[in-house]
Amino acid sequence: MGPNAAAAKQAEKLRINGNTYFKKDRFGAAIDAYTEAITLCPNVPIYWTNRALCHLKRNDWERVEEDSRKAIQLDSNSVKAHYMLGLALLQRKESAKGIKELEKALDLGRGANPKGYMVEEIWQELAKAKYHEWERLSSKRSWELQSLKEACESALKEKHFLEFSQREGFVDDPTTAHSEQLEALEVVFNIAAEADTPTEVPDYLCCRITLDIFHDPVITPSGLTYERAVILEHLQKVGKFDPITREPLDQSQLVPNLAIKEAVQAFLDKHGWAYKVD
Amino acid sequence: MTSSSGAARKNLSKIACNRLQKELVEWQVNPPTGFKHKVTDNLQRWVVEVIGAPGTLYANETYQLQVDFPENYPMEAPQVIFLHPAPLHPHIYSNGHICLDILYDSWSPAMTVSSICISILSMLSSSTTKQRPEDNDRYVKNCRNGRSPKETRWWFHDDKV
Repeated sequence: MGPNAAAAKQAEKLRINGNTYFKKDRFGAAIDAYTEAITLCPNVPIYWTNRALCHLKRNDWERVEEDSRKAIQLDSNSVKAHYMLGLALLQRKESAKGIKELEKALDLGRGANPKGYMVEEIWQELAKAKYHEWERLSSKRSWELQSLKEACESALKEKHFLEFSQREGFVDDPTTAHSEQLEALEVVFNIAAEADTPTEVPDYLCCRITLDIFHDPVITPSGLTYERAVILEHLQKVGKFDPITREPLDQSQLVPNLAIKEAVQAFLDKHGWAYKVD
Repeated sequence: MTSSSGAARKNLSKIACNRLQKELVEWQVNPPTGFKHKVTDNLQRWVVEVIGAPGTLYANETYQLQVDFPENYPMEAPQVIFLHPAPLHPHIYSNGHICLDILYDSWSPAMTVSSICISILSMLSSSTTKQRPEDNDRYVKNCRNGRSPKETRWWFHDDKV
């Protein structure tokens, strides 16, 4: 056995020890084990993400960020590394960058094997961040609209007053036109505020089991779309059939529904309130 | 207080909680015809009033359904029973238990309280006689120590009635 193979073997042992400490909530000991593993084999991304998770448990966000970044350098497709980096960035109020990392994690996490599936967890954090962002931006937008509307209204009133005073004698015509214009203005501004007004998410973007907007939609051979996590749970706990058509269904037949995924994204981009998680 | 309906219930899971909140909102906006939900702050037990459909044997009669949700609803069906007095029907026992396949073997997580209610009303509406199931006395006696209908091995009556 060459020196490299021996080091790799030793590092793996250290990782397993680290995992054991982690499960017992002994994060300091776990960090020591992973650090030794990293010293032996610095190019294994999982040693870095495991250590990052220990730092996360201790709220040591600076180190979470360092280790996650290192892991991403080694494996740019690491769901966990992007997820933890996103959380660390949100901690230090870098919301735009944090959201970007969480979106990357969500994208990579969709369709991951069921064992390491963490889309629901990522979604919760991403949705929280996105909802806050929407609250901030939409209140700014609504304030801008409101002041613009007031300015338009007073300009119209002024115009009406001028016309009224110029042509005394034929009073009725300008008055009707004026109130019609004010009504039209109201309609225009209501339309402008529509996207930011929370209503209901259309049914076709919601899973028939969770009744919630899709996070990771998959389609069955019956043509019906479900949330991946719950359809998997259904196949495991209830039975191997499509919940609506009752046709036989196996996990291997589930296929990502990319069209719905994009429709959901387009809807959320326009209506940030739909990120609300209770 | 000695309320002994069913074993001690575990709290609803997060998925169950979210889903029930959504069902409740949907019910308030768009309740199924002939039903009224008595609003309480208990998400895990709904009491629903049923009014017999006009032109059927149960027209203008009012009954109450009690719906209890398990921890991992909707992966598991809710327990649905009629509160006393239960309607006289060939598939409804005098203790309120209902013989209806979707509540047991044929449950699917895509069903909702609303769709269950509609099935129960249609079961009532299609009845041609007001009588108890033939095995009522035997069944009710077997259930005396508070057994849930979900523990029964149902042998479903034909669904033409």
